[in-house]
Amino acid sequence: MKRIGVFVCHCGINIASTVDVQKVAEEVGKMPGVVFATDYIYMCSDPGQALVREKIREENLDAVIVAACSPNLHESTFRTAAGEAGLNPWQLEIANIREQCSWVHSDREKATEKAIRIVKAMVEKTRLNESLDPISVPITRKALVIGGGIAGIQAALDIADAGYEVILVEKEPSIGGHMAQLSETFPTLDCSQCILTPKMVAVGKHGNIELMTYSTVEEISGYVGNFTVKIRRKAAYVDWSICTGCGQCTEVCPAKVPSSFDRNFSTHGAVYVPFPQAVPNKPVIDREHCIHFKTGKCGLCEKTCEIGAIRFDQEDQVFRREVGAVVVAAGYDTLPLSELKEYGAGRVPDVIDGLAFERLLSASGPTNGEIRRPSDGKVPKEVVFVQCAGSRDPERHKPYCSKICCMYTTKHALLYRHRVHDGQPYIFYIDIRTGGKGYEEFYHRAEEDEGIIYLRGKVAKIFRDGAETVVWGTDTLTGKNVEIRADLVVLATAVIPRKSTARLVRKLHIQAGPNGFLAEAHPKLRPVESINSGFYLAGAAQGPKDIPESVAQAGGAACKVISLFSRNRLEQDPAVAWVDEDLCGGCRICISVCPYDARKFDEEKGIAVVNEALCEGCGSCVAACACGATQQKNLTDVQIKNMITASLGGK
Amino acid sequence: MVKVAYYPGCALKDRSSHLDASARDAAERLGFQLDELESWTCCGAVPPVSRERVMNLVASSRILKNTRDSGRDLLVTICDFCYNTLKRTNHRIRKDEITRRRINTYLAQEKPERDYIEETASPWTDYAGEVRVMHLMEYLRDVTGYDEMRKRLSRPLEGLKLAPYYGCVMLRPENEIGLDDPEDPSIIEGFIEALGARVVNYPYRTECCGSYLSVSDPDVSTRLSYKILSSAAGKGADAVILSCPLCFHNLDSRQEAISRVFPGFKPIPVFYFTQLLSLAMGGDRDRQGFSRHHVDVSGVVDSIFAEKERQ
Repeated sequence: MKRIGVFVCHCGINIASTVDVQKVAEEVGKMPGVVFATDYIYMCSDPGQALVREKIREENLDAVIVAACSPNLHESTFRTAAGEAGLNPWQLEIANIREQCSWVHSDREKATEKAIRIVKAMVEKTRLNESLDPISVPITRKALVIGGGIAGIQAALDIADAGYEVILVEKEPSIGGHMAQLSETFPTLDCSQCILTPKMVAVGKHGNIELMTYSTVEEISGYVGNFTVKIRRKAAYVDWSICTGCGQCTEVCPAKVPSSFDRNFSTHGAVYVPFPQAVPNKPVIDREHCIHFKTGKCGLCEKTCEIGAIRFDQEDQVFRREVGAVVVAAGYDTLPLSELKEYGAGRVPDVIDGLAFERLLSASGPTNGEIRRPSDGKVPKEVVFVQCAGSRDPERHKPYCSKICCMYTTKHALLYRHRVHDGQPYIFYIDIRTGGKGYEEFYHRAEEDEGIIYLRGKVAKIFRDGAETVVWGTDTLTGKNVEIRADLVVLATAVIPRKSTARLVRKLHIQAGPNGFLAEAHPKLRPVESINSGFYLAGAAQGPKDIPESVAQAGGAACKVISLFSRNRLEQDPAVAWVDEDLCGGCRICISVCPYDARKFDEEKGIAVVNEALCEGCGSCVAACACGATQQKNLTDVQIKNMITASLGGK
Repeated sequence: MVKVAYYPGCALKDRSSHLDASARDAAERLGFQLDELESWTCCGAVPPVSRERVMNLVASSRILKNTRDSGRDLLVTICDFCYNTLKRTNHRIRKDEITRRRINTYLAQEKPERDYIEETASPWTDYAGEVRVMHLMEYLRDVTGYDEMRKRLSRPLEGLKLAPYYGCVMLRPENEIGLDDPEDPSIIEGFIEALGARVVNYPYRTECCGSYLSVSDPDVSTRLSYKILSSAAGKGADAVILSCPLCFHNLDSRQEAISRVFPGFKPIPVFYFTQLLSLAMGGDRDRQGFSRHHVDVSGVVDSIFAEKERQ
């Protein structure tokens, strides 16, 4: 019989306040084969781990149970410790008596009884555990970065600078993302383009970066270290390999298409480069608006292009690439004005959103940086900025704080004052949140020196009255309702995930939270990793973020990728499924239920086989197998039965 | 003629009997009959603002259960408060199993009248929200259809400029009522256009009239009603159109007080939507209960008849 040791953790008072840990150790210690049982205040601490190592040697233990928190937290910690003491790591199991017991109960007596049973069940499981060796797989040292905004750009550059190859996929014709649309950035007021475009150029020129714009990820398969991706490059109808980017075609195109980059304040042709600093600086033809595609006529661009780069017969291309890690930097959108019915539902012309105001402020924008309102081009003298337009509004809109609006609205009002000296900006706010280096000082400068009127309260309604836009709000500091007849209203609309993010989540098999933002593996300790290994998160796709934070997270994600690539081979958990060749009847049901493509049919032997590198040990096949041929290592049917018996108080 | 189960509620039997009468008249002109429930009780009226979460839903649940037990699956009501109460009760019963069980426990303990027992020999079944509650205007929009209404107009209200007034409880809370977007509704606008009249757009259409403050703090209602009415008039409205008896009270009978507090205020007629519907469908002006209005409506009504004669 195996010599088993049991270590019960107090987790400070997290477990010990609800569960009588001494009693748990005492009761479990009475089980046959349990030769040592004790409790300790912090088992994961250095002395705690030392205790486990010491007792493995002293008591000559064959197996160990640590009764503590979830195995998600410290299973690998204790298995490493067991390995150091000479015990096979798969002979150590965690009994979760925190998340599944002490945290969710209050009756001490019953919780203690439950904890005892949880530990006993793990003892029964461990009796039949086999010693396993980790599965070792090779790594493809090339990364895929999805999204070419500032986060994707930073991640790609950091990985590429470390000497690894990167594929950067961006669905728009140019990289740059929302940051390319911004005028100046808080709190230092650097020009956004000036700090972004050098990085864009660096991406375009980097020898280790394969830039694929106007492209989307179509499919991904494989596992950490060994992914296969299919990337679809949309037909640009321009042969970029010979196009010099001279821009002649864009000048002759007679079509007029609203520029989404300029938030519809300007138009470009059907053949266009989204903005002058685009990388790559090559045009694409918007098929939907192109006169040639609609009528078969025109073709002015084709006639103008001396080198013959216009190719109306071009088709979408699909590329296959092998990569070892994926950084998801899919970016964000803002809540459409049409959703904000109380603020005119997008039908009031002089109610615009923050990104549109950025375009008005931008020196390279549609008005060359002059503030002119959309309805009649007049310079607005009274401008109302509305924060939390759709944020912090669980009843009608989004429950969360969009985080960036307090700062950018302050910046907007301040820049507006710099352009229109006799203009009066008002800011409606719920709270001013300035958690960032230099942010509070920036806000104070705006409030005290720049003549901006801050009104603490929500805006109830916005409507048009003649040439004016009327704002009804409340000032909760004076308790009075406020009516402002404004020339222009700027809404700080909620930051939301891109529509395409939900699709991407399904394609990559990663997770998103309740509001659609990408889910991290742990909110505090693993903020740049996805729960699925090999996927890393960067930028506002994971939650509202400003530029410094996006850049920091992108650097973090890049470091994780680099650290993965620095290993020779990857070790994977060997507790996977296996097939008893003598029992398998070849029905193939297991192949159809496997979510990871880890099972194949061996035609020669007429049985199902497991690709151990792909198997995640989810157990679907074990449940589906009709003849019991498939078992999961260290979680066999017999082990499960014994665990159930122990859980029910038997034996 | 199609019979539609109808819950009038208290106001329509007393102060707002002209809403009831004009609604019945308009419905019959459109080919359906408002079939009043038998032995109905008060709907409870204030559950939306009460803290008690179960007891106050029993009266409205009883009405809904009796409707179902009489073999009907649709209940139409007109008063915005009754609509709000019945619809929200139904919503709670559908969504919240504990509330459903508790309410049915209360209902089961009530001693039913003997003849009612004999009439319904079927065994007890819990009320689970089977009945669909509809506002009459919702019925017109979704069942009759505004296009169909437009076809049947015998006296289109052409040239009349009407200001829609929604009040508070007809649309809120959105997730429980679901009739229209409370911040940007269009159901009354559609109704006005179906009558051939013109919609006056003004910002106060969804603002509060003061509601029950009319009782405890009438000055507030006076001030709020003044804002609504003067805004509508300022945008050129000939009249205000609404469906809620309490809103009607505040906006119509309060105009005398408004004129005292705000000199220069010019009275503006207020109509129930059913009155204008009845007139547009060829209804008799004497059957609309205009004598119960505080503000003289004869100018607008005359113009409706004059317009018809001109054609």
